[in-house]
Amino acid sequence: MNILNMPLSRRQAFKAMLGLGGTVASAMLPTTALASTEEHPAHPIAPADAVAMLYDSTLCTGCKACMPACNEANGLPADTLLSGGIWDMPTGLNAQTKNIIELYQDPNSDEFSYVKKQCMHCLDPACVTGCPFGSLKKVDFGAVTWNGSLCIGCRYCEVACPFEVPQFEWEARNPKIVKCEFCYDQRLKENLEPACTAACPTGAVIFGKRDALLDQAKGRIAAAPDKYYENRVYGEHEAGGTQVLYLSSVSFQKIGLPKLGSTSLGHYATKVTSVIYKWLGGPIMMAGVLGFAIRRNWNRHELERLDHEKKTGFPDQL
Amino acid sequence: MTPTPANPDERGTTLINHWQSGVPVTKGRVLTPFLAFLIVLAAIGLVLAGIRLVSPLGPFSAMNSAYAWGIWKTFNVMTLTALGSGPLALGMAAWVFNRQKLHVVMRTALVSGFLFYSTGLIALGFDVGRPWNFYNAVMPWRWNSESAMLEISICMPLYCAVFLSFEILPLFLERLYYTGNEKARAFLRHVSPRIRKVYPFVIIGAYVIPLMHQSSLGGLLLLAGDKINPLWQSPAMPWLYLVAAALCGFAFTIFLLLIVCLRYARPLDDSVLTELANLLSGVCFLFLAIRAIDLIWRGQLHRAFAFNEMSLLFLLETSLILVPAVVLQFRRFRETPRALLNMSALACVGGMLYRFIPTSIAYTPMRSTSYFPSVPELVMAVGYISLGIVAFVFAINYFAVLPGDASTWDHSFRPFGWKRRAPAPAAIPLLTVPALERGA
Repeated sequence: MNILNMPLSRRQAFKAMLGLGGTVASAMLPTTALASTEEHPAHPIAPADAVAMLYDSTLCTGCKACMPACNEANGLPADTLLSGGIWDMPTGLNAQTKNIIELYQDPNSDEFSYVKKQCMHCLDPACVTGCPFGSLKKVDFGAVTWNGSLCIGCRYCEVACPFEVPQFEWEARNPKIVKCEFCYDQRLKENLEPACTAACPTGAVIFGKRDALLDQAKGRIAAAPDKYYENRVYGEHEAGGTQVLYLSSVSFQKIGLPKLGSTSLGHYATKVTSVIYKWLGGPIMMAGVLGFAIRRNWNRHELERLDHEKKTGFPDQL
Repeated sequence: MTPTPANPDERGTTLINHWQSGVPVTKGRVLTPFLAFLIVLAAIGLVLAGIRLVSPLGPFSAMNSAYAWGIWKTFNVMTLTALGSGPLALGMAAWVFNRQKLHVVMRTALVSGFLFYSTGLIALGFDVGRPWNFYNAVMPWRWNSESAMLEISICMPLYCAVFLSFEILPLFLERLYYTGNEKARAFLRHVSPRIRKVYPFVIIGAYVIPLMHQSSLGGLLLLAGDKINPLWQSPAMPWLYLVAAALCGFAFTIFLLLIVCLRYARPLDDSVLTELANLLSGVCFLFLAIRAIDLIWRGQLHRAFAFNEMSLLFLLETSLILVPAVVLQFRRFRETPRALLNMSALACVGGMLYRFIPTSIAYTPMRSTSYFPSVPELVMAVGYISLGIVAFVFAINYFAVLPGDASTWDHSFRPFGWKRRAPAPAAIPLLTVPALERGA
C-alpha cells in the first residue's frame, strides 16, 4: 500500500491541502516577484557609474609600459623566472601578474596582433556568483575586487571564470587570489584612472565611462568599416557584457578571447536554483512532503515494532 | 542465491528476512595483513596531509590556475560522495516509499556513507587554500546565498556532523547498552525513547539536506559553462547528479553487502537484495531517460555518436549504466549473487564516471595546460580512501552493522583493546530484559 491509496483522516486531509496550497503558492509567488527584480538577468544592464577600459589592438605597439605600471600600482614583484632574474617576463596571467600584453602570430602568414589580458570586470561576473562567502565582490564603478578576510581558497572563481583570470598563489602559505581589481583601492577611489591606461603611450587602452567608450568604439568601427574583426566590439554582449571592451583586426578567438554567448553565466547557473531556494521555499516544501510520508511510515513501523518485540524478544534496531 | 534455512520465528510481515538485524562480526582476527597495509597507507596519507597543512599547495599537487580543482575535489568529494549516498537512497526508499525490507541494511549504508562523507570532508579540508577563514560559515550575513559552493560547504559538514552522526548513534548506544554497567543501562533506558521521539524529525533533515547538496554538486559545474563538453554541460546537471547519487548509493550498497558477506561467510538474503536490485534498475533507467531527454532537448545527440574521444567516453558511461539496468530486469540474473555483484559494480563505475568526467576529463579550459595528479596528491587520495576502509572494517567488527541472522548473535560484542580475549558473554540474558527497555 502506498501513500496515495491510504485512507486519510480529516486532520490529515487538511494538512495535505495546506501543503498543496503552499506548493502552488510558492511556485506562483516567486515568479511574479522575480519579474521585477531579478538578481541575475540574462542580459544585465551596466550600472550608471560603470567605468570601462577600451583596448584597441590595432593601436597597441606592444611596448608593455602598462605591465610595470600595473606591478608598481599593485605592489607586485616582477616575474623574472624565464629571464634569469633580469626582467619581468611572465608567460601569462599568474600569481605575480595581473596585467599582460601577449603577442599572437599566425605561423603561416604575417598576421599578428598584441592583446592585453586582465580581468574583464563582467557586468554579471561568474566568479562573484560562485564565491561562497562573498569574498569577490562587484563594488563601485563595477570593479570586481577580492577581500582576503572572507576567502576560503576554494578556487571556485577559477573554475567559473570564462576568461580564466583569477590566479591562485600556489606557492604561498597564505595564498591569495590575484586578479586585476581595476586599481580600485589604489587609484579609482582617488579619482585616478587605472595604472595601465594612465601608462599607455599610444592610447591603445583608454579609460572612461562604459557607455561613452562603447560609443567611441562603435565610432571607430563606423569610421573604418572592415578594419575591425566582425565590425563589432568584444565585451559589449559577451557573457552578458564586460567592462573591458576590445577592438581587434584579428579574430578574437585567435588572440585568446573565448567565443561566448550573450547570456550571463550567473543567469544560466541560477535561473532555476534562485526560484527553488527563494526564502528556502523548495527545501522547506520538500521537508514538508517528506515529513508527511515519513510520519505515516514511522507510525506504522512503530506499531509493528512493539508487536514484534513482544512476540519475539528481539529488539528493533534503528 | 544460497538458500538460507527458513527462520522458525514468527516476526510479523515486515521483518521476515534472513537478514534480520545488525550482527557484528565476532570471530576471526580484526588486524589482518591487508588491513595493516591499509592502515599504513592511511597513515602515510594523513602524515602528508599534516605536512600540507604547514606548506603551500604548490609542491603537493599538480593543480594550476586553469585546472584549479584536483582529484581531492573531483574524485574524493564529487565522485565518492555519490557512493556515500546510500543512506539517502536507501533511507528514502525505506522511510518515504515504505520499502520496509531495507531497514535491515540501513546500518551498512549509513556507516559506509558516513565514512565516504567524512573522508571527503577531510580531503576538502586539506584542499582549500585558506581554511582559517571557514569560520564565516557560522555568520549568515556573510553568505553569498546564490553560490552553489556555499550550499555545499555548509550542508556537507552539517549533514555529516549532525544528521549522519545522529543516525549512526544507535550503534554506539547499543554497544554501550549490552556491554556497559547498570548505570549506563539506566541512562540509555532514559535516553532511547527520546531518540525514538526525535528520530522521524531528524531523518527529514537527513534526506532534504543531501538532496540539496548532491544536486548542488552538479549545480557547481553550471558556472563552468563552455569549459565543459556539451555532452555533459547541461541545465539538467543538478538533477542528473542527484539521480547519479541515488544510482551509486544503491549500486554501492549492493556491492558492499555482497563483498562483505562473501568475506565473512554470511548467508545472503534473497528478498532484500532483489528489492535493492529492482530499485537500482529503476534508478538506472530514470537516469538514462533524463540523460536522453536532455541530449535531445538541447540538440546535442549527434555529438554522442560522433565517435570521437568524448563520444566514446559518453558511450562507455552510458553502456555501463544501461547494461545493469537491463540485466537486472531479469529475475534469473537478479537472483544470482555473481551477476548481481558484477552488475552493481558496473553501475557503480558508470555512475562514478558520470560524476567524474565533467569535472576533469571533459573539462577543457582554453589555456594550453594539462593536469594529472601528482604523486603526493594520489597518495593522499588513496590514504583517505584507505582510512575509510579501515574504519569500516573496525565498525563491522566492533558494532552491529552488517545484516545477519538474529539467532546467530547473543548480543555479546568483541571487546575493545589489543589483547585477544574470548568475547565476553552478553551482560544480560537476552529474554529476561523487557523488550521495550532495550537500547535504541
